[in-house]
Amino acid sequence: MSTQTIEVREALRQALDEEMERDPNVFVMGEEVAEYNGAYKVTKGMLDKWGPKRIIDTPISELGFAGLGIGAALCGLRPVVEFMSFNFSFVAADQLISTAPKMYYMSGNRFSCPIVFRGPNGAAAQVSSQHSHCVESIYSNIPGLIIISPSTAYDYKGLLKSAIRNNNPVLFLENELSYGDKMDIPTEEYLVPIGKAKVVKEGTDLTLVTHSRMVQLCEKAVKELAKQGINVELIDLRTIKPLDIATVAQSVRKTNHCVTVEEGHIFAGIGAELGFQIMEHCFDYLDAPVERVAQKETPMPYSKVLERETLPTVDRVIYSCKKALNL
Amino acid sequence: MVLEDQKVSKHQFYSSDDEKVSKQLGKEALLAALQKMVRIRNFEVRAESAYLQGKIGGFFHSYMGQEAIQTAAVDAIGPDNWWITSYRCHALALLLGATTDELMAELFGRANGNALGRGGSMHFYTDRMLGGFGIVTGQVPTATGAAFALKYKEIKDQVAICFLGDGAVAQGAFHESLNLASLWNLPIIYVIENNLWGMGTAVSRAISIDRLAEDTAPAYNMKGYTVNGMNYLDCYALFEELKEEVLKTSRPVLVEAVAERFRGHSISDPGLYRTKEALKEGMEKDPILRLKGILEEKGWIDEEAYKEMDKEQKEIMIASLKHADESPWPDPVTLEEDVYAP
Repeated sequence: MSTQTIEVREALRQALDEEMERDPNVFVMGEEVAEYNGAYKVTKGMLDKWGPKRIIDTPISELGFAGLGIGAALCGLRPVVEFMSFNFSFVAADQLISTAPKMYYMSGNRFSCPIVFRGPNGAAAQVSSQHSHCVESIYSNIPGLIIISPSTAYDYKGLLKSAIRNNNPVLFLENELSYGDKMDIPTEEYLVPIGKAKVVKEGTDLTLVTHSRMVQLCEKAVKELAKQGINVELIDLRTIKPLDIATVAQSVRKTNHCVTVEEGHIFAGIGAELGFQIMEHCFDYLDAPVERVAQKETPMPYSKVLERETLPTVDRVIYSCKKALNL
Repeated sequence: MVLEDQKVSKHQFYSSDDEKVSKQLGKEALLAALQKMVRIRNFEVRAESAYLQGKIGGFFHSYMGQEAIQTAAVDAIGPDNWWITSYRCHALALLLGATTDELMAELFGRANGNALGRGGSMHFYTDRMLGGFGIVTGQVPTATGAAFALKYKEIKDQVAICFLGDGAVAQGAFHESLNLASLWNLPIIYVIENNLWGMGTAVSRAISIDRLAEDTAPAYNMKGYTVNGMNYLDCYALFEELKEEVLKTSRPVLVEAVAERFRGHSISDPGLYRTKEALKEGMEKDPILRLKGILEEKGWIDEEAYKEMDKEQKEIMIASLKHADESPWPDPVTLEEDVYAP
């Protein structure tokens, strides 16, 4: 199998290109996606390749173009709508919450809504309170939505292709700080299934469950813990909703200890859901309470000193792992 | 026709030549139009009575008083287009071919209802009707997307028609949609049904301009029209003209149809904010009686035939109520089906 070394942004572009090639109803729409070549260069060169019919610049009008995309999806198209930041999706919340995820059910399964909303989620580098929110726990409360949040170029590509082929509204959460991450991935076409977590590293002592950019953070913690003789199993959720609790539960039954790590806030976060479901599925297997590492309950501060303080760190992950292991 | 209300008298009402339009349409088409309006009226009257008996729950927004607008729109533009409206959606579904049985069953929350008992009064659908939207203005960006899909697929003989209430004009989604539709030359007809009240708030207390279409449309480089929504013939003539215009230009247009809402905002609204006299005056403009009058003048219908038409529709509704009442409840095991499409 031949491979290529590419960045995450290029993996995303390949996914878009391949799916546009495959299905003429797929098109890309968003702020600065065409002539500017994408705020983060994910869609670089795509206007030249596909033309303005299928690579569409929008005004700064998230509510309008998110809703327009949803209407187009109901009428048979497969839009991929870019939010320059998922923080801007809140402007379109009515359409994301009250229209897209409810149409198929509410219409007595007459109208499905195959649409992908993609863009960077969570913190970048010192972009302060209004550009740093992690949206996954907010939107994962809504039945009818699929929420994907990969961590590697391989998964970004394979999951975006699956998302575009899916017949439901998908929120595809990326990370600005990951767009430049390089990886060897196959040159041949492949898909990654939605709803399947990945065991990044097998271990026996403790299960560390995380997603998105926190996977790389956790990998550092896992290496550090290994030096101290602690063998951690690391799970990348990849999809938040539907949650692959089976993979998590299988691991926890083996290790009997669990720590969840997420970039978003702790209250009603993904860790809260994971912790509860682990209790439901693995109560008798747990040797200690599940620990959570998450963003502290503050808006994102600008100063890098404070920013570092509110976000999960390798040290906090290590501390929580040791606490769970009573070390 | 110019409405008495000083507030709306500044409008340039689109006026058709009643004689010319009725001649063009002819006896059969006009009788059919009258029958559709009588059908809508009877549906609302009977459903309302079932609601008051506790057979129907939730919110319930009657279309009584506004029948001419959507009846004329569907007649003039044709069902084979994309249609979308607010929660005041019973009439549009009926006009686009949903049966009274499936709609009553939906209101009763039954398994064989129009939306399998999941939508209720605010969420009716047909193959070409995207809803029934519960959030004021939620349907407006969606409808704009339907027009976008027509253009993208190069379907050149269809348009999207989006109905919204006067209350929606204050929402941002309305303005974003007009901007996008005009910017991208989308084939869509937006119809503001101004029934003079956003729930209990008079239009003049909610909107900073008087003429909802004529004053708004130019800001988006669009054409705006006002029509008397109580006159089927005016509405028909305007919608027929606009369909041709939109198909030819692929440009959006904005219409304000001024109408009277014969009921409260919803069934639970006693309408204490308007006087009995004002309501009575409004009801004297009844679009059904107006069209009936025109047909009578021509000798195309008489009181007896009209009563027969009304009775026939009443009986259909009573039969549909019975059908709904006897229909099966949804099986609780189906509760979690269809949250996701396969």
